[in-house]
Amino acid sequence: MARPSMLRRTIATPLILSALLVAFALVAWLAGSRPFNQTVIDIFLQVIFVVGLYTFVGNSGVISFGHIAFACLGGYVAAWTTIKPMMKGVSMPGLPDWLMQLEIPFWAAAVAGGGFAAFWALVFGAVLMRLSGIAASIATFAMLAMVNSIYSNWTSVTAATSSVVGIPIVRTVWPYLIAAIIVVFIAWAFAISRYGLALRAARDEPTAAAASGVDIPRVRLIAFVISGAIMGAGGALYAHSIGLVTPDTFYLGLTFTTLSMLVVGGIGSLSGAVLGVLILSSLIQGLRWLEAGVQVGASTIALPGGVQEIALGAVMILILMFRPAGIMGNSELTGRIARTEKPGEPGEN
Amino acid sequence: MAPIMQVVFDALSLGSLYALGALGIALIFGVMRLVNFAHGDVIAFCVFALLWPSVDAVAIIFAGNLPWFLLIPFTLAVGAGLSVLSEVVVFRRFRRANPATMMIASFALGFVIRYFLLMLFSSRPKSISLLPGLSQPVELLGARIPLLQLITILVTIAVLIGLTAFLRRTRFGLEMRAAAENFTMARMLGVRANRVIMGAFALSGALAAAIALILGSQTGTANIMMGASVMLMAFIATVIGGMGSLAGAVIAGFALGAIATVMQVILPPDARAFRDAFVYGAVILVLIFRPQGLLAARGTKERV
Amino acid sequence: MSLVSLSNVSVRYGRLTAVRGVTFTLAEGEILFITGPNGAGKSSLLRAIAGVTPPAGGRIDFADHDITGRAPEDIARLGLSMVPEGRDVFGSLTIEENLMVGTGMHARERSWKARAANELEAVYATFPILKERRHTQAGLLSGGQQQMLVIGRALMTNPRLVAIDEPSLGLAPNITDQVYERLITLRAERRLTLLIVEQSSTRAMMVGGRMMLMRGGEILLDGDARALGQSEAMQAAYFGYGEH
Repeated sequence: MARPSMLRRTIATPLILSALLVAFALVAWLAGSRPFNQTVIDIFLQVIFVVGLYTFVGNSGVISFGHIAFACLGGYVAAWTTIKPMMKGVSMPGLPDWLMQLEIPFWAAAVAGGGFAAFWALVFGAVLMRLSGIAASIATFAMLAMVNSIYSNWTSVTAATSSVVGIPIVRTVWPYLIAAIIVVFIAWAFAISRYGLALRAARDEPTAAAASGVDIPRVRLIAFVISGAIMGAGGALYAHSIGLVTPDTFYLGLTFTTLSMLVVGGIGSLSGAVLGVLILSSLIQGLRWLEAGVQVGASTIALPGGVQEIALGAVMILILMFRPAGIMGNSELTGRIARTEKPGEPGEN
Repeated sequence: MAPIMQVVFDALSLGSLYALGALGIALIFGVMRLVNFAHGDVIAFCVFALLWPSVDAVAIIFAGNLPWFLLIPFTLAVGAGLSVLSEVVVFRRFRRANPATMMIASFALGFVIRYFLLMLFSSRPKSISLLPGLSQPVELLGARIPLLQLITILVTIAVLIGLTAFLRRTRFGLEMRAAAENFTMARMLGVRANRVIMGAFALSGALAAAIALILGSQTGTANIMMGASVMLMAFIATVIGGMGSLAGAVIAGFALGAIATVMQVILPPDARAFRDAFVYGAVILVLIFRPQGLLAARGTKERV
Repeated sequence: MSLVSLSNVSVRYGRLTAVRGVTFTLAEGEILFITGPNGAGKSSLLRAIAGVTPPAGGRIDFADHDITGRAPEDIARLGLSMVPEGRDVFGSLTIEENLMVGTGMHARERSWKARAANELEAVYATFPILKERRHTQAGLLSGGQQQMLVIGRALMTNPRLVAIDEPSLGLAPNITDQVYERLITLRAERRLTLLIVEQSSTRAMMVGGRMMLMRGGEILLDGDARALGQSEAMQAAYFGYGEH
């Protein structure tokens, strides 16, 4: 197998994407403004979610509406493991003793959140990966609803629908940047691994891949678990960025935002996942700004609430109509000028 | 005896809602392989269509004050109209797209509808009183059940009979059944694709409106999220019923209603809040053994 | 006067070209067999004519209309009845319902119901077994009966051209004989134009008429079925790469 050459050929993609993220972080650092800082943190978190979703959806071609459930699992792990024991005793009295006493740093909570989500991804995935494409998509949606319903009702452990507060807030951008970069590299490594290649082969040519002996459900399951782990870690970090969690933080709204960013960027492309976040986040910020109101002369013009989501939905539908493969299609940023512009050079593949 | 009848009526009325929802999903899936994630939001839209736009906490009932013989056709027309509009504006351009693309588009459309409602009405649930007088109880077979529950069951049965007659006895129904089974072949026999698909959307929208009327009267609230849980159960019913099989969807809808009601009874009180989670779990377990659904119909394989 | 005329028609699926620049005309009342090995592009050509797969290039005319890229239902309404490969009956519909699906295209015309009833009786007269089992679900029929049903269904709308993809596929030889016998009679009765795709030339030679040989998406030979079938050129062109 031509593993080393594959590595050399594709390493540019995660490097470029990381550089892009670092540039954002530097701008936030230099600007030194609180709200802008928070915006950049949100962008990094969204990068984690969208890249996590890409790891499964992009490679397998199976649409999942359920991945935010794993972020929910991870977010609550952060709440269970980092809130001061005294506060936990009040809001979540049903926690087992050892968990009640536990107080770990935020990065450890992110790892734990990822692990917890990965475990449940394995359990759910073992069932879901046996279903065909469409039925699997619906079942992932049911999984999301199931997790939401459990976390919205299990009063003693999740405080039901009320906010669980007291999660230590991490305000600096660097941990989120590092996490986003790690996630980008994990996604890239998986995509060029034996499993990633097999999965994409199965996505493009199901019959041929099955005939070549690729155990599709098993490889899909591996992707599902890895992406579940990423979502879980992202959920924990999300909790640390705002300091509280509720079940509805991790429900349809976040599912919609995450999916729309992936669709706009390009479902089959890691670069598309990251670019989708950057592009749509800018759009969302602009619309939020307009919703808050703009001073025009003597009067303030504000868009009504909801315009942001409506615009996002419209952009998503238009992209699906006119460029169903997203902005990036199936290609990646490689730092090289496209081959068509240099007809003299021999192709790479 | 009485408690058992009570459970039976509960199961039937809940199952009715799920069955109507599943029919609306299956009708559209049958003719164009679209899993319509906007269906739940069409349901919510129909309820809000009865109110005057306002972001106040108190609902201003507008069309909702119509007498029932005008209210019902009005709501059905709103549902059918919105549904057809979504096909003409959005889904028509996805005829040649793969099912996954269409599914995401419908998900996005659902969000657009939901946030349109949010923009006009805010996200706060509003209490409304729709078709009052239906909440009084009646005695039937030794059980005291709300009149509305009885009406729900009767209406659903009437809808099912009406729809069956429509599909079996009319030319349009014949074309629709043929198209649901093999769309390309039906077109090669001169069946007009646009007409059939618009018909399916209109029917599906009217079914969503029927659910909206029942839900609105039952819960006494209007909430932009109110269609979501029925839609999810309807999805599950269509998967169990074998994607696109109308009879399968209805049977599975009633089965889900029965399972949920029985769970409500047999689960210990602490666990009752997790009823829906148990139902989803049970469904996922069922799918392990029958990935094609329990009642997979002939010739309804996914189109590629 | 030609009923069908194709000029330079090609069909592509993604990067794969199935039909390359095919040109021919078919006169009213003619019978044309298109034969050729698997993957020759025969079915793709038929699907392009019926409007199921719009051609990537070229022009198709039918009954004095340019039907290139038109919707299948519009083409069907001009009088082209297609019987695709694999006997696509509507399995959950009864035989009679299957037969009636297409008759709606005349719903605008006066007394179409009476005409549909006449056509139904005519089809039943041709295929008595269908009348016997008229209320049976079509999915429960045997392969031969399904083949009769799809041919009967294609005739219900009184078409000018019937295009049939592999009528003998998966049928016992004596059933195939019956099917062909009926087709020939119908053609004589109604001045039907027939376009039949078959993998082998045996049937064409038995029935007679015109025959074309396709391979690799192109038409290699075109001529009288009986003369062509016995020629060396036919053997060479068909087996090209020497299999069998």
